[in-house]
Amino acid sequence: MAGKSGREINAVPQNSVKQKILSWEGGLVIIFVAVLILGAVISPTYNFFSVFREMPKYLCEIFMMFAMGYILIIAEIDISVGAIVCLAATLGCFAGNAGAPLAGVIAVCIGVGFLAGCLNGVILTHFTELPSMIVTLGTQIIFRGIAEVSLGSGGSVSMSNSKIIMPLATMVGPFPLVFFFVAIAAVIFIFSLSRTTFGRKLYAVGSNHTAAHYAGIPVQKIRMICFVLIGTMAGVCALFYLSTTFGANTTTGQGYEMDVIAMCVFGGIATTGGKGNLIGATIAGFTIVCLRIALGQRNINTQLILVIIGLLLIISVLIPRISEVLGNRKRRAVQG
Amino acid sequence: MQQKKSFWKRLTGSREASLVLILVALLIVVTILSGGTFLTPSNISQIFRNNALTMLMALGMLCVLLTAGIDISITSILAFSGMTIGLLQKYDILHNTFLLFLIAALIGTGCGLLNGLIISKGKVAPIICTMGGMYIWRGLAYVISNNNWASGADVSGFSDFGKDGSVGPYIILAIAYVVFFIVMKWTTFGRRIYAVGSNAEAAEVSGINVDKVISLVYMIMGLLAGLSGALSVSIYASAQPNMQYGKEMDVIAACVIGGVSMNGGRGSVVGTFLGALFYAIVAKALPLVGLESIWQNLIKGIIVLAVVLLNVLTQRAMDRANLERREL
Amino acid sequence: MSDDLILELKGITKIFPGVKALDQVQFQLRRGEVHALMGENGAGKSTFIKVITGVHRAEEGHMYLNGQEVHFKGPKDALEAGIAAVYQHPTTYPELTVTENIFMGHEFKKNGLIQWRAMNQEAKKLLDRLDADFKPTEEMGALSVAQQQMVEIAKALSTNAKIIILDEPTAALAANESQRLYRIVDQLRDEGVSIIFISHRMEDMYRVASRVTVFRDAHYIGTYDVDKITTPDLIKAMVGREISDMYPKPDVEIGKEVFRFEGMTRTGYFKDVAMTVHAGEIVGVTGLVGAGRTETLEAVCGITKADSGHVFVDGKEVHIKKPADAMKAGIVLLPENRQTQGLILRWGLGDNVILPIQDELAKGPFKVKNEKKERELSKKYLEEVDTKAVTIFDPASSLSGGNQQKVVVAKALVQDNMKVLIMDEPTKGVDVGAKAEIYSIMGDLAKKGYGILMISSEMPEILGMSDRIYTMCKGRVTGCLDRRDATQELLLEMSMEKGNNEKKEAAE
Repeated sequence: MAGKSGREINAVPQNSVKQKILSWEGGLVIIFVAVLILGAVISPTYNFFSVFREMPKYLCEIFMMFAMGYILIIAEIDISVGAIVCLAATLGCFAGNAGAPLAGVIAVCIGVGFLAGCLNGVILTHFTELPSMIVTLGTQIIFRGIAEVSLGSGGSVSMSNSKIIMPLATMVGPFPLVFFFVAIAAVIFIFSLSRTTFGRKLYAVGSNHTAAHYAGIPVQKIRMICFVLIGTMAGVCALFYLSTTFGANTTTGQGYEMDVIAMCVFGGIATTGGKGNLIGATIAGFTIVCLRIALGQRNINTQLILVIIGLLLIISVLIPRISEVLGNRKRRAVQG
Repeated sequence: MQQKKSFWKRLTGSREASLVLILVALLIVVTILSGGTFLTPSNISQIFRNNALTMLMALGMLCVLLTAGIDISITSILAFSGMTIGLLQKYDILHNTFLLFLIAALIGTGCGLLNGLIISKGKVAPIICTMGGMYIWRGLAYVISNNNWASGADVSGFSDFGKDGSVGPYIILAIAYVVFFIVMKWTTFGRRIYAVGSNAEAAEVSGINVDKVISLVYMIMGLLAGLSGALSVSIYASAQPNMQYGKEMDVIAACVIGGVSMNGGRGSVVGTFLGALFYAIVAKALPLVGLESIWQNLIKGIIVLAVVLLNVLTQRAMDRANLERREL
Repeated sequence: MSDDLILELKGITKIFPGVKALDQVQFQLRRGEVHALMGENGAGKSTFIKVITGVHRAEEGHMYLNGQEVHFKGPKDALEAGIAAVYQHPTTYPELTVTENIFMGHEFKKNGLIQWRAMNQEAKKLLDRLDADFKPTEEMGALSVAQQQMVEIAKALSTNAKIIILDEPTAALAANESQRLYRIVDQLRDEGVSIIFISHRMEDMYRVASRVTVFRDAHYIGTYDVDKITTPDLIKAMVGREISDMYPKPDVEIGKEVFRFEGMTRTGYFKDVAMTVHAGEIVGVTGLVGAGRTETLEAVCGITKADSGHVFVDGKEVHIKKPADAMKAGIVLLPENRQTQGLILRWGLGDNVILPIQDELAKGPFKVKNEKKERELSKKYLEEVDTKAVTIFDPASSLSGGNQQKVVVAKALVQDNMKVLIMDEPTKGVDVGAKAEIYSIMGDLAKKGYGILMISSEMPEILGMSDRIYTMCKGRVTGCLDRRDATQELLLEMSMEKGNNEKKEAAE
């Protein structure tokens, strides 16, 4: 019973090259290149090899960034990830010191992250009245509190035998091992988000979770998966953190939540949910990593990077709003 | 049926009353455990002095939470303003206590206003905006300090105001609480804050300038954070860029325990005070029950989460009771 | 008398992106009259009210208050000019007290401080005037909808409003509560307040109004004296044609039972509800707002959890715990609110349509999206329901209400294992043209042997389309009528509280 009017609806997708270049991701690539040039200008030692050599220190956050992208896309937030990194790194370190082999340390770090994510997820799916901001604010104090209690009055622990964790810090040619893990994670996360039905479910939940529920999407299950995922990724982050610092203390992971949220937002993911993709976030993440390396090589006050990331975060969330206001003004001018 | 309703009403309607009861019970337990040595004048004044910053900032946080917002940049604003006046003294530019307080308050107000404008005019989520602010102000505190800190000798005159035995901090606290109590209960501005948090759309329709109220609320929060910066330098006789790191959670926790809803519209000055007091007493009492200070954060976190979950469960029980009353 | 106009609007036109919500409408309100404003959903009544109260600004037209032209920049201007509106769902501050809700924005002050005692006393006076049964110090959120409306009326009185607009005030009220509202309206009129009463219940209009103005499809149709116009004429004015032309109800052989549920109970919402649908049958479910119709059927579809109940499809029991279970069993729900429940407005039409079946189309163990198949299917079904759209990538938000509803219908049809379609207010806020198309789709589906269950508050639609009609009241089924036996009066009577209600009236 084709439509009475016989009206035809076009179903051919249209992708123009121009659109791609003008998109947010296009802009990010330009900024990324600019950062690399800046690095080369301000630091004589800034080159292909040194960047990759120094990368592991900063790269571990990227794991969490992918999962944070999912969390933001479903219109949630998780500010407990920094504390999870602290807890996982602390317990992982203890495990190593207690004689566990590498596999044991890996299991402890990832297991702790997984369990912490489960706790967040269980609370949020059983107390759906509570916003994730409040719950993760609370669990954050608890996770770090547990780490503080296990660290004792000294407040820090270091690996008595750093050889255990060294395999994770090896270089493969000019590339650090962790870079390959990040690359694998990037492929999996980006593919799942953009090519699978699971990815579309995330966007559906974030755009309108009521409509998603009515369309038969298991909204709570998806929230649970995302929070477990980000907890697990925080565990992975803790593991690679250990492989570069060989220890943990009460301030480990402080501010990581803000770093990864900033990367996502800078990468074009809206904190209101349903918008953005991980390609942008990945470029943004590497931009920040490369910027840090450049500033680090020049011994520029490490705290300055905090100001820069903070500004980046606020400006990137303001840009859509500003363009909206300007757009309205223009429209009004045309009408007037 | 009527009775049931009034029972629930009494239980939930007066959060303050139940908090007072819990506080009294807590005090009795602690007093017994400490063998009667807990409620000494010096202990009591210490409780207030050690928690003056939390108690002061809790008032601003009350306003912010009432509008269904949140501000996690407060301790960074505190550090930035505190560091600024610390350096002013370190380099012998200014030593007038009143002017230093004024400068700290102005810096805080400016930072807060910026937060408020970004949130109200820029429509940025409060958590995101203040998360950015948290880094910017803390980072600036480091940058201006150039990794130095102002020592006790640098701020010696200024620290007289807040040193042990001085009434300065208590007077500031007392004035702040009285002023807020009056403003929140008896002025239209105070009630506008409640209105915006309870139903922003309705507030807009009744002609309330919602953006203005939100900007002002964050500005007040900033003002109190700036004041706390000066107070912190004065009480602890030093200024470091990392001061009070992470303590914004204490402030939020004090409010939440005091019955301030994080969804906006519900909360009172009295409740905030009791919540902050409860928090302070727990912290002071932990060593008495044999728990080292490293346990503090864990216990605090559990209390906060428990209170939040308990609120949900009470609300559910109330809704359930309401539904069961409905005849079909 | 006709010269004594307190409010007059002329040539008002209001345009929203893509839609003309009001097209050259006019309206005249006499001093001290109760004037009903009627029209179907989507006729433009609500927009018109928002123009009067300054929430929206009209693109064209003039508004005169007491003969003087006025331009309201915002709601505050209207309030100051003495115009107050009371909405169906009161916009209140649930955490604050009744007194505060009444006086928000115009508190009593002395030396800059709020005079709580004086305000409480004044609030008590206002509430007494309205014969209210609650205290001014009670928390607003604890009151019933009817009580909250009363607070809103008290609020209007507290601003000394000369014109009060009541927007569908009885829609959420029980019969005895409506009676009380009528008395309040009478009383206000006697005190010299002019009232605009919006409703689509005939009953309301006959009881309180002296004149009635009808809007249809954003146009002004006419103004009539209530005692001079007949119900059929009024309906014709509202709907634009005779009812019988509107509903292409096909004669379909009713088959065997496809869908049945029984014992559906959820504390506080509905109790022991049972319904049956046969193949090719269109079953109507009617009742007043708050009768538990939507709640029941949403529980049947797994949207919410029922405390108990059994659901059968083709005679076999199915266990439904979540929406996906219902969909798997062939029960498809067309939700009441297409904008929040039916569609993801930001998304393209195609993505919206295939959302429920994307997993079935997906390829491989990783469930890779089958975009080619998705595009084909969504194009096919969007064309089948005759959506007015250019491409399947148009965002759903760019369509008009009627076309959005067609997209939701396409989203239901795409589920090819569908056996029964539950439609909740399928034509709410839909223009007349799209309405007819939705009815014709319903007819086609019935012919194909699907069972259809339609919740509707619009009597003509219920009477015009259903083979059988259930009525619900206060969470229970109060009756089931065959098409031949059903009349508007009978259905309304069955939808009202009986016995129970009379008792209460007597007690008062």
